Amino acid sequence: MTDLTLERAPLRSFALPQILRGEPAFAAVGLLMFWLMLPTGAAALLDRRQLLGVGVWDKPLKFQLALGIYLLTLALFANWLPAGFVAGRRYRVYAASVLVAIGLEMAWLMGAAALGVASHFNATAIGTLIYRSMGGLAIWLTSASLVYGVVIARRGRDFGNPALRDGIAVGLMLVLPLTLVTAGFMSAWGSHFVGGVASDASGLWLMGWARDGGDLRVAHFFGTHALHVVPVLALVSSAVLGKTRRWPVRLGAVLFVAFVAYTFVEAVSGRPFLGFIG
Amino acid sequence: MELETLFSLASTLALSGWVALLATPLLPRLSQIYAGIIVPAALATLYAGLVLAFWSSGHGGFGSLAAVAELFATPQVLLAGWVHYLAFDLLVGAWQVRQARAEGIGFLVLLPCLALTFLFGPIGLLLFLGLRAANRLAPRQAAQTGVTP
Repeated sequence: MTDLTLERAPLRSFALPQILRGEPAFAAVGLLMFWLMLPTGAAALLDRRQLLGVGVWDKPLKFQLALGIYLLTLALFANWLPAGFVAGRRYRVYAASVLVAIGLEMAWLMGAAALGVASHFNATAIGTLIYRSMGGLAIWLTSASLVYGVVIARRGRDFGNPALRDGIAVGLMLVLPLTLVTAGFMSAWGSHFVGGVASDASGLWLMGWARDGGDLRVAHFFGTHALHVVPVLALVSSAVLGKTRRWPVRLGAVLFVAFVAYTFVEAVSGRPFLGFIG
Repeated sequence: MELETLFSLASTLALSGWVALLATPLLPRLSQIYAGIIVPAALATLYAGLVLAFWSSGHGGFGSLAAVAELFATPQVLLAGWVHYLAFDLLVGAWQVRQARAEGIGFLVLLPCLALTFLFGPIGLLLFLGLRAANRLAPRQAAQTGVTP
């Protein structure tokens, strides 16, 4: 009779799906982000405090979802990295630093919500300091997409589908520049609202985007999702136009950048995204 | 949600865990998963939600008895404290059941420990630790009377 096996009996070992094993650390922390949505969601249900017209826990919840999706996406695309790359020592140190940045970001978001203060655009002295370091952390954690994109573009695997490989690489590489421009402008502007009432309460369903003025988060959102949109475009074009045709992927990427630029200009000029939805 | 509603919800949940532990001889695995993982995790989620939402609005701290009393003057924090008891008592109960099976302690002998852990947590733990020590001193008799896993 072994104590150990009985002690462990109720906890069956949990195995990651094969497709996420390209970068198990990212996949595991991504799932952890989803797991964190349980206590955060409980807090959201219990807490009546509000910031900008929505619950204080809405923001950590959104970020847990977004960072979870981001990490799982990277774990998926890690399959396209060259063989042995993820095991490299320098890469491991870098990957760990990205996860630390995500942990610090989440700790601040949770802490700010618990205290009922604004996590972004916090105007107090200490708030400004933290907000600036947060910007650095955010850039650092987003840099992982650029690193993945460049490595996949230069020597990634293509699994017999170079068009898809291109789409993944380009999508990944677009995230950081698009995010820097949109989020950087937002940060310099001092708010994400342009005109209209600075409130999330009357915003677009789920996203909270302003309906009565420009909202810089629209371009930020789409720019950050380049790593999903461009690979999906590539997947479609490789299925329809062939796996070796690369121009449709590039054209799609250019059009997508143009679309992000359009939503950005629209916000800067104080017009709501899809204003007709109301 | 009303605090009293949350209180009843948490108590009912914990109680269902204890009932599951009583079903251990019939469904050892299932009762462990339910009483040892699912219910404590659900209670811990509620606890975390309460602490995240209300900790900063409360006063007091852990430094002195008076500070702890002040902490529990906030009803939401008091509820969190109660949910903490419920979660950890049940976890200790589930651990006793596992340990008893592993060491060949009979379920009927274990029952008073579980009852006391349910009502007065640490007293039940103390009794169980004593029972375990006694079982180790007389391992053969225990193995004969014990329920074999």
